[in-house]
Amino acid sequence: MAETAPKPKRELPKSRQMVNEMTAKVYADAWEAKRRGEPVAWSTAIFPLEVPETFGINVLYPENNAAAVSAKHYGDGLIAHAEGALRYPINICSYARLNLGMADKLRDAAFDGADPLMPLPDLLFLANNSCTQLMKWYENLARDLDIPIFFVDCLYRYDEGELEPHRIAYGRGQIEKLIADLEVFLGKKFDWDRFLEVQKRAQINTKLFDECVALNSTKPSPMDGFDLFSYMAPQVICRGKEITTAIFEQWKAETLERIASGTTTFRGEEKYRVHWEGIACWPNLSYNLKTLSSYGINAVINGYVTAWSLHYEPGDLDGMARAYQTASTNSLSTQAIMDKRSKTIEDYACDGMLCHVNRSCKLMTFHIFVGREMIEEKNGVPVANFDGDQSDGRVFSEAQFETRLQAMTEIMAERKRTEGVK
Amino acid sequence: MADVKALLGQFEAMAADPKALMDRYIAEGKKVVGCFPPYTPEELVHAAGMVPMGLWGGQVTPSVAGKYNPIFTCSLMRSCMELGMTGAYEGLSAVIMPMLCDTYRGMAGAWRVGVPGVPLIAFIHPQNRTDPGARDYLAAEYRTVAERLEKMTGAQVTEEALQKSIDVYNDHAAAMLDFCRAANEHLDVVGPVARHAVMKSARFAEKAEHAALVRQLVEQLDALPRHAWKGKKLVLTGITAEPDSLLEMFTAHGIAVVADDLAQESRQYRTPVPAGKDGFDRLAGQWQGRQGCSMVHETRAERGQMLVDMAKETGADGVAVCLMRFCDVEEYDFPYISRDVEAAGMPCLCLEIDQSTQNNQQNGTKIQSFVEM
Ligand code: SF4
Ligand code: SF4
Repeated sequence: MAETAPKPKRELPKSRQMVNEMTAKVYADAWEAKRRGEPVAWSTAIFPLEVPETFGINVLYPENNAAAVSAKHYGDGLIAHAEGALRYPINICSYARLNLGMADKLRDAAFDGADPLMPLPDLLFLANNSCTQLMKWYENLARDLDIPIFFVDCLYRYDEGELEPHRIAYGRGQIEKLIADLEVFLGKKFDWDRFLEVQKRAQINTKLFDECVALNSTKPSPMDGFDLFSYMAPQVICRGKEITTAIFEQWKAETLERIASGTTTFRGEEKYRVHWEGIACWPNLSYNLKTLSSYGINAVINGYVTAWSLHYEPGDLDGMARAYQTASTNSLSTQAIMDKRSKTIEDYACDGMLCHVNRSCKLMTFHIFVGREMIEEKNGVPVANFDGDQSDGRVFSEAQFETRLQAMTEIMAERKRTEGVK
Repeated sequence: MADVKALLGQFEAMAADPKALMDRYIAEGKKVVGCFPPYTPEELVHAAGMVPMGLWGGQVTPSVAGKYNPIFTCSLMRSCMELGMTGAYEGLSAVIMPMLCDTYRGMAGAWRVGVPGVPLIAFIHPQNRTDPGARDYLAAEYRTVAERLEKMTGAQVTEEALQKSIDVYNDHAAAMLDFCRAANEHLDVVGPVARHAVMKSARFAEKAEHAALVRQLVEQLDALPRHAWKGKKLVLTGITAEPDSLLEMFTAHGIAVVADDLAQESRQYRTPVPAGKDGFDRLAGQWQGRQGCSMVHETRAERGQMLVDMAKETGADGVAVCLMRFCDVEEYDFPYISRDVEAAGMPCLCLEIDQSTQNNQQNGTKIQSFVEM
């Protein structure tokens, strides 16, 4: 067979290049800080990072790191180490297994078996708004590395409706105590003026991020919905920084330009628009992307990216406490989440909902099992599940993914034919 | 001796058939409220003049629960869901569920759609217990549980009644701890199955009634000559150690259970409710005092050391981790507790607990090799 020339790689848009540069810098800065003997922290993904940002602490994010490591196919060895030598059962979240494996491997300064590597932390920031597993995971890190945890306990909201005053009071008190405890740990005074500036910056970035995401409700979409995953890093790890504003402004301009010129990053013709529920399967990302586009399906929006919509009035600690307790849909009741999803499906004119039954994430999967009927009933769109995992490549099956996609596409096509759904 | 056997038989009957007990309470005109384990403050229900009963699943093969429970739902909640969806809990006035883990977060939603006939009252404990606001938060949260309970059932939780109920529970806990002491002095009479039956029956029975029966048992045991156990001794840790066929394997291999750190058993009794003027605050104080449990946030290796100490105090030969299938909080603790136990020079067995099967073959092999060590 004649060799075909490799397809030229599409050049990344400038905004994506900026994201990559920003991420590389965050890692480089953390390594540099470590070398200088300054403290480096690891933090859960939805922690009130405005506080460490104000103190000028270098922070890295194990969930974000695990996603990057998995996407580069470096996860398997670390996961195997966690399950083998470290005895972690296979059923716990694969981000945790990967990271606990990495933390242990990093004790050997010469370890270079994964990328990107984080320097070992001197302190941990924990907010359990995504799940309870985070708390157990960080307990193990704290024990193994003998370092402190700075914890903001974000209470799961099992009912719908406004948060009661006792929840807000507990949340606010914890942010205040976090600041006081860090002052002692770092031997440094907290700069409240700077804090206000960081909060303002975080709000500007959050608003911009939401605006950019919302642009994808345009029909046809200016972006392949999977692109949204690629823009999460600045919002997750640099929410309080100016560079994020620059990136999002660039992203917004590029997207508006695409809308104006009728172009898109989606490959092929967008025949169907679906809501993707759950995290991406990082090790299988390119397969998923390819398969979806071969069916003309654009996963225009997903529930994951909206978890960082942390809105509050700068200076209002009660509002900040509320935002961190409720931004992640994982901390809301199934009914509350599905009400949001239902609205998104409408706003983005989705023809269906494709749900990642994530072996790692009990919580998200529970919501899918309980919530799918709610969506089918309310929105009248087909809901399809497929099995996968965000980091553990052993779970996902290409054949099952395609079969489920096929079945869903048939229903979506049928609805377009018979019900005149556009 | 005959009296002891008869008494143990009573405990075994209660533990084996909580449904019969529930039907009895309802027939007596009492309202019964299901309490999801392990840290639902039953005192609130008791103070409202109703009977709190623990919900601990059962050995069932789930057939319908899978509709709302992913395959990796812990075995315990999967059977609770199955029992709920198939009507076994009909008659309960409500259920109360603590959001202690991700499975519970999911179960709250699943219960509402899957068992619409039994209303749910969910609540959440604070995990950042060193924060000065944690205790006040929890007292307020418990007040909302009481209010929702009052609304649903029409009952009233007064401060006076709550104080009395706390006394009943503290008294019961003391009786249970005394039973553990007496049981260890008579391991020939109180085998693993009997010990478990006394512990488990307490999850269902009205506490004053149960405490009286336990005191009778202890009295009878204390009247017997002390027994020096010659076989192996084990400490159990985990959520539950069931079914009985697993415990029977211990008996068959000459193994006695001398202490436990099971959520269904001793974790219920080792932390008394502190004294105080405000009942809700007292209950919150109990949560603040809990230690060595996978559902309670701690950053140091308390549970590992605690198990080692328990084994040393009771002269145990090893620790068995009874790992509830798909219970992630326990799975996160397993690595360090097993390492700590082994570092103290003791074997640590890992047994799988699965309510959907009676098959204990693998566990049998592990127990066998423990005995042969
Ligand atoms: S993937 Fe799910 S279980 Fe894992 S850390 Fe995120 S929210 Fe928690
Ligand atoms: S703590 Fe474990 S056994 Fe209990 S509900 Fe959660 S997962 Fe299930």
